[in-house]
Amino acid sequence: MVVTVDDLCLFAGEAVLLLGPSGSGKSTLLMTLAGLIAPVAGSVTLESERFDTLSARERDRRRGLRMGLVFQDIHGMPGLSVIANVLLGAFAVGAVQNRSDAKILLDRVGLSALADRRFETLSRGEAQRVAIARALLLRPAVILADEPTASLDDANADRIADLFVETARETGAALIVATHDHRLKRHIERVIDLGAGS
Amino acid sequence: MTVFSLLAALIRRTPLGWAFQAIGLSVAVAVLGSVLILQRAADTRMTRDLAGVDLVVGAKGSPLQLVTATLFQVDAPTGNIPLTTLDILARDPLVQTAVPVSLGDSVGGDRIVGTTPAYAELYGATLAEGRTWRAPMEAVLGAATARRLSLDIGDTFAGEHGLSGGEAHTDRPYRVVGILEPSGSVIDRLVLTDLASVWALHGDHAENAGGVNNHAHDHDHAGTGAERQITAVLVRYRSPLGAVVLPRRIAGLPDLQPASPPEEARRLSALVGAGSDALAGLGLSLLGLSAIGFLISLSAAVGARRRELALLRALGAPPSRMLTLSLLEGAVLGLAGGLLGALAARLIAVVVARAGPGGFALPLPAVGPVEIMLVSLALSLGVIGAIVPGVLAARTDVIRTLRTV
Repeated sequence: MVVTVDDLCLFAGEAVLLLGPSGSGKSTLLMTLAGLIAPVAGSVTLESERFDTLSARERDRRRGLRMGLVFQDIHGMPGLSVIANVLLGAFAVGAVQNRSDAKILLDRVGLSALADRRFETLSRGEAQRVAIARALLLRPAVILADEPTASLDDANADRIADLFVETARETGAALIVATHDHRLKRHIERVIDLGAGS
Repeated sequence: MTVFSLLAALIRRTPLGWAFQAIGLSVAVAVLGSVLILQRAADTRMTRDLAGVDLVVGAKGSPLQLVTATLFQVDAPTGNIPLTTLDILARDPLVQTAVPVSLGDSVGGDRIVGTTPAYAELYGATLAEGRTWRAPMEAVLGAATARRLSLDIGDTFAGEHGLSGGEAHTDRPYRVVGILEPSGSVIDRLVLTDLASVWALHGDHAENAGGVNNHAHDHDHAGTGAERQITAVLVRYRSPLGAVVLPRRIAGLPDLQPASPPEEARRLSALVGAGSDALAGLGLSLLGLSAIGFLISLSAAVGARRRELALLRALGAPPSRMLTLSLLEGAVLGLAGGLLGALAARLIAVVVARAGPGGFALPLPAVGPVEIMLVSLALSLGVIGAIVPGVLAARTDVIRTLRTV
């Protein structure tokens, strides 16, 4: 799949929706931005610095420290507690694991009471909120979310979308959401429509 | 959140598979470890029983039989030799110590050895209570014999004719005058007495014996007067020159045979060691199989954990961290199997040593070196077995995994 985006530039606190049906390449674009796929042409710049040409190790490190990732299906690690899952990103890159920040974030996503519960006992919506809390822990420059509201009902989809937009704005992170869910247009005005696919 | 809590979380995903791996390794370690511990115990026991004796001089026959009969006390003697042999050897300038051994009777399956107090000195045995014998029919008991037969100072007992129990000499009982400290050697299960005691009990029996008696017999003939006989003389050389000269000189004498205990012990070890070597080989083979089992199961675990591994990689974990995680899991697995196996090995060795194969209690080596070696070996195998799975984990295809879940 080849996705062509002429120009996508986001500043701190801004949000954009990559909208398109399945197969339109929005996940590919998201992973390219995350440095997991190398672009065939063009470039990816993060905080005024060329990102896609960094060494694999450095790209891993920058992604872990400066990007918050939320995936469609994988939200955490079974066997660990909820709060350990929030700290997982910091552990992965060897950053300081600030437990009190993790608790604050869990409070923000409405899961403070479940901090010590095992991750696998959570509902899908709760697991997704853990992933959001983790994505925000290291105060990233960019939050990349892939289908964050897939298979959620309207009420929950609105709640998750609000959470993303508000927390991104408050923390000054740029937010990029890849989705086929048109409901999210109510929350994020800027849309790049990949509907035509390629 | 530490690497150990992450590891624990990964293990919790497949606890049974992980436990089976650890148990499989521990079985291999237990087999190898128990064989090694018992081999060392047997070596120690054999060394102690040899008591630093350089040469055994006895009647012609099998030299191995001469050594097993007079030092290990497990075989019938080859025959008798004149008491004068002792005097000749004791006066030889190449000889530091010459200790007579006269076998004939037993009590409750333990042998009665007619000898001199120098015999106990060969084994470094000391008295726990009482004194050494001063007259015929006084006896000093080994620690195990005293305990097993419930004999104490002042008690009397009758010797049984022959080395495997026969008619009791009830008319001439022995009196216990001393009990030895445990020494972990053959002397623990012997009864020591004066040479004259053996002669006194067998004076009539051997009245027709003259010179050297070479026929196979499991007890000593006393002889009378100048014809007194003994079973063997245990010799320690004064200098290495003794090893060159004495055996050749004795071999040249009619009816006498020299036997080198270290040499015969080596032959004995070669005979009985084949079985323990085979068991040790089995243990090593099991360890090898365990390592292959690690490789297969940990590789399979990488496949089963691909979601978690992909998540970690996507969150920025470098490949080296994935490799480290896998190696650490292998190390923990190896450590668990090693510790469990080392514990089982020691328990097996204790049970076998207490059972005392052939009536021998084996002096087990102290806990430490063998166990450290076993745990280190298991740990190394665990780490080695985790290298390939670790490389697979480090190469987790994040994109493919994220797209296929």
